[in-house]
Amino acid sequence: MTDTPLSTAPLLLILPLIGFAFTAAFGRRLGKRAHIVPLVAIAAVWVLAMGLAIPALLGDPALGGEGSSLTLFTWIASGDLIFNVGIHVDGLTGALLLVVTSVGALVHLYSVGYMSHDGSYWRFFAYLNLFMFSMLLLVLADNLLVVFAAWELVGLSSYLLIGFWYTKREPGLASKKAFITNRVGDVGFALGLMGLVAVFGSLDIHTILAGIEAGALTGPAATVIALLVFCGAVGKSAQFPLHVWLPDAMEGPTPVSALIHAATMVNAGVYLVARMSPLFAASHEAMLIVAAIGIFTAIFAASIAFTQTDIKRVLAFSTLSQLGYMFAALGVGAWIPAIFHLITHGFFKGLLFLGSGSVIHAVDGEQEMPKMGGLARKIPITYATMLIGTIAIAGLPPLAGFWSKDEILGEAFKFGFGWVWLVGLLVAGMTAFYMFRLMGMTFWGESRVNPAVHVHESPWTMTLPLVALAVPTIVAGFLLGFPFADGILVHGLKPVFAPANELLGHEHEAWTLFGIDGLLMLASVTIAAIGTAIGIRLFSSDHTQLLSSITTRLRPLYEGSRSRWYFDDLNDLVFVQAGGRVARALWWFDRRVVDGAVNGVGTIASSSGRGLRQIQTGRVQNYALGIAVGLIAMVIVYLMVAA
Amino acid sequence: MSGMPILSLVTFLPLLGAIAVALLPSSRPGLLRGTALAVALATFALSLVMMLGIDVRGSEFSLTEQVSWIPAFGITYHLGVDGLSAALVVLTTLLSWICILASFGPIKTRVKEYFISFLILETGMLGVFLSLDLFLFYIFWEIVLVPMYLIIGIWGGAERIYATVKFVLYTLVGSLLMLVAMLATAFSHQVATGSWTGAFDLIALRGTVTDPTLQLVAFSAFALAFAIKVPMFPFHTWLPDAHVQAPTAGSVILAGVLLKLGGYGFIRFAIPLFPQAAHTLAPLMIVLSVIAIIYGALVAIVQTDLKKLIAYSSVSHMGFVTLGIFSFNRQGVDGAILQMLNHGLITSGLFLLVGIGYERTHDREIAKMGGWASRTPVYAALFGFFLFASVGLPGLSGFAGEFLVLLGAFFVNPMIAGAATLVMILAAVYLLWMYQRVFTGPLSPFLKGLGSHLTDVTPTEIITLTPLLVMIVAFGIMPTLLTASFGPSVSQFLLAAFSGVAP
Repeated sequence: MTDTPLSTAPLLLILPLIGFAFTAAFGRRLGKRAHIVPLVAIAAVWVLAMGLAIPALLGDPALGGEGSSLTLFTWIASGDLIFNVGIHVDGLTGALLLVVTSVGALVHLYSVGYMSHDGSYWRFFAYLNLFMFSMLLLVLADNLLVVFAAWELVGLSSYLLIGFWYTKREPGLASKKAFITNRVGDVGFALGLMGLVAVFGSLDIHTILAGIEAGALTGPAATVIALLVFCGAVGKSAQFPLHVWLPDAMEGPTPVSALIHAATMVNAGVYLVARMSPLFAASHEAMLIVAAIGIFTAIFAASIAFTQTDIKRVLAFSTLSQLGYMFAALGVGAWIPAIFHLITHGFFKGLLFLGSGSVIHAVDGEQEMPKMGGLARKIPITYATMLIGTIAIAGLPPLAGFWSKDEILGEAFKFGFGWVWLVGLLVAGMTAFYMFRLMGMTFWGESRVNPAVHVHESPWTMTLPLVALAVPTIVAGFLLGFPFADGILVHGLKPVFAPANELLGHEHEAWTLFGIDGLLMLASVTIAAIGTAIGIRLFSSDHTQLLSSITTRLRPLYEGSRSRWYFDDLNDLVFVQAGGRVARALWWFDRRVVDGAVNGVGTIASSSGRGLRQIQTGRVQNYALGIAVGLIAMVIVYLMVAA
Repeated sequence: MSGMPILSLVTFLPLLGAIAVALLPSSRPGLLRGTALAVALATFALSLVMMLGIDVRGSEFSLTEQVSWIPAFGITYHLGVDGLSAALVVLTTLLSWICILASFGPIKTRVKEYFISFLILETGMLGVFLSLDLFLFYIFWEIVLVPMYLIIGIWGGAERIYATVKFVLYTLVGSLLMLVAMLATAFSHQVATGSWTGAFDLIALRGTVTDPTLQLVAFSAFALAFAIKVPMFPFHTWLPDAHVQAPTAGSVILAGVLLKLGGYGFIRFAIPLFPQAAHTLAPLMIVLSVIAIIYGALVAIVQTDLKKLIAYSSVSHMGFVTLGIFSFNRQGVDGAILQMLNHGLITSGLFLLVGIGYERTHDREIAKMGGWASRTPVYAALFGFFLFASVGLPGLSGFAGEFLVLLGAFFVNPMIAGAATLVMILAAVYLLWMYQRVFTGPLSPFLKGLGSHLTDVTPTEIITLTPLLVMIVAFGIMPTLLTASFGPSVSQFLLAAFSGVAP
């Protein structure tokens, strides 16, 4: 075991697990020192993870290419079916480790400041470490059943953290909604796994992918299984129509929103599809549906982000929209741009969420942007870093978002998905607009903050992670994605996606500045600039009258957007109201019909003759008598036979 | 076979304990409780010794004890243990001492009679799991009814008489038909071989019942008895009534062990004795199982009483047991047995927790609760733990069994697995909705009114829950500990289940 490059990898799982167990057991007694063990554990995890991720992405002979595996122990075994727990690290794992551990470590640090006033400080850190364990298991596991287990465990941590402030009503509702909605997708995922077992007799990822490359799964079976697995991704990554849980998940503390509901867990669906890329590439129908769901979610969520007034909800819908981009990319076969966007989005959206937390902290817990405004000079570090994040997500060069978003749009166009490209382009403009709307309402113009609130910049434990995240937000795109179509990421991930690309018949093309690529880039930059300009124009200072005249003219659209296109109401009607009626009807049926029949038989029996009623006196001695009678009957039978 | 008849010792030690308790003065409840607990712990220890002493890879029943009993009919006192029965025996002895400890506080009247009943009950349950003679099995099967009848009928809730009469009559109907089927089987054996020898012996009888009519009729009678016990839809309505009225320990034993008698009966007796009939009726059993899984979960959603909710969740969970068994494949049966054991650990924990809450509130009405976690965080956390185990969270023990059963069903028919998998959503709905209403949000006026009575769990209560918690985690991470030990039993079962069955 010592000569494998993965000898330290199990520590990535063990350390957070120790941190969780220790803090859960002793955290309460540690008071304000409860963060030390979890924080140190995650810092160590970060160091170890970089030691794996960087070589894997740079094409290290052991970790790059096909990667390395390490089997730990047998989890479930039944007959010939054996499900092992093992670790696999390749370029894709490296990309995920980079985001998960970096944002994870910074969010831990940030939480030291953000949660310092909370009575359940220790519990928060225990949950965070539980989440880190689960998330790392998810990206490291080499068996889909273990991925599924980790999938459920991140769901548990998400449930616990959304419902962290359990004495309030809303977090309880939101956490329940998140878990149940995810389970809807997980039913599909679980059935997809069963289908894979039926076909391959294994859930070992390597075995399955090798089988698909050999053509063992094609046609409708491939489509059905791929789409079932995709159901899980739709739930976890909050894609339409299972997107409803993510905006409500903002009831959780803001560091949780940043870590779990923006930068890491919600990427799990993207990771799953990418990891199983040959499975999807084996079915054109499945790919088409992935692309359609993705790009629809992108524009659908962006249209809602236009009108939300809660700063975190805007970011939540923005997350949905950006995840939609990633799925659109996966669906058109732009695997590497999808993962590229996952990385850059993880950094800049993590930054934006932590920034929003810093804003909320500064204005004493207020989350409504109409009650903010003019904060730029009062919390300058928060403002500057959030502005960097906003420029990045808007897709303006040279920040990170530009690089990855441009690659997605470019490849969508070049692979012949003009509609994905067109909608994606529109969404790019919308994104720039609503993000500058957010910046304007929060930081610019006159202050609308309650005068009693003393606005203050956050402590260093909170601003340091902001600054630290601003660095990759600026440089990650350039570092990973330059030169175009030939950067570090392309080299690190190409072997991972080679089988899928072979199935799709995609070939690697050189990037041309003075050709189609340059034109596409120009288009996306232009539309981002237009969105930015409108956003700045409308929200840089008080344009209340202009805005209200626009919203009045577009009243139905405005109301629809504000009400999230009535999707929560529809769900409530179909599942809660109608489903509740079905359950109540069955309950009536159970009492009146099923149990009624039982009691009816009893009544008939007991009233059909006084003599017989003696049997049913309910006295135990009578039953003993019955058993004795049975014995006597046997003796009689014997005598008859003997005679 | 070594010199010590350990199977008989395990089985009858609780009965000896009951006699000892009977001889002690009623005026000293502390002594009665202590004696009962000591006996139950000794039985538990002895059952562990038994488990360590068996070699699952050797012959089918690595420990047996056989003594001639009623030679005229070929009835023998025949006990035997394999991996499957050993696991269920240990589950029984574990839950028995936990229940006796959990009864220390709640049971204040007729303490002596209570513990006598409980110890007799334990002997009955252990006898069922260890009998290899049909008649002996039947005797133990019926013995179980009597103390359970008393436990619900004397120490139960307001409508205990209705519930207990229903429980006893219902199960008695099934078991009497089973007795008739046993006699018919034995009789036909005697006719065929000209001798009573082995007419009641499971091992001798397996594979000898060839008459298709007898197969079908006898299997149906056995199946009815076991289906009522499991309980399968539509024979389940006695269960919610019995659970709601039973004292906490009664509910725990009912859910933890008694329901498993049905599943065990299918695996050990009904199917190996009448495999062709079992295959003929398998589609019906599978459909009823899937109905139980979905129907039980849907009805659980709208329950207003905590105990009834858990009771209906049992109907749903036990549907997995029968679904797995009648899939007739390795994964299905492995999963069914795992599900029996894990349901025994998890649902017992939930009933203990409901009981702990009832001790404080004297109420189980979900609508009256709310915000409970803010007063008793440890209680709420423990409840949450068992709840997620019941939801089937991977890493806790419930998952492996359910997944293997679904896999087994998928191999039979993907549509069936598809329908049963929906329970993943429904279980989350009924359990998390209940948790949200009971434990989260602001403190309800009812709970606030209880003031300082609303205390957190006591050390004794933690002791009753800890072994379950540890095992749920251990078997969640390493279910192979269990599957390896009962694996040979499953191989034997599948051999017997397919003997004489056209492929």
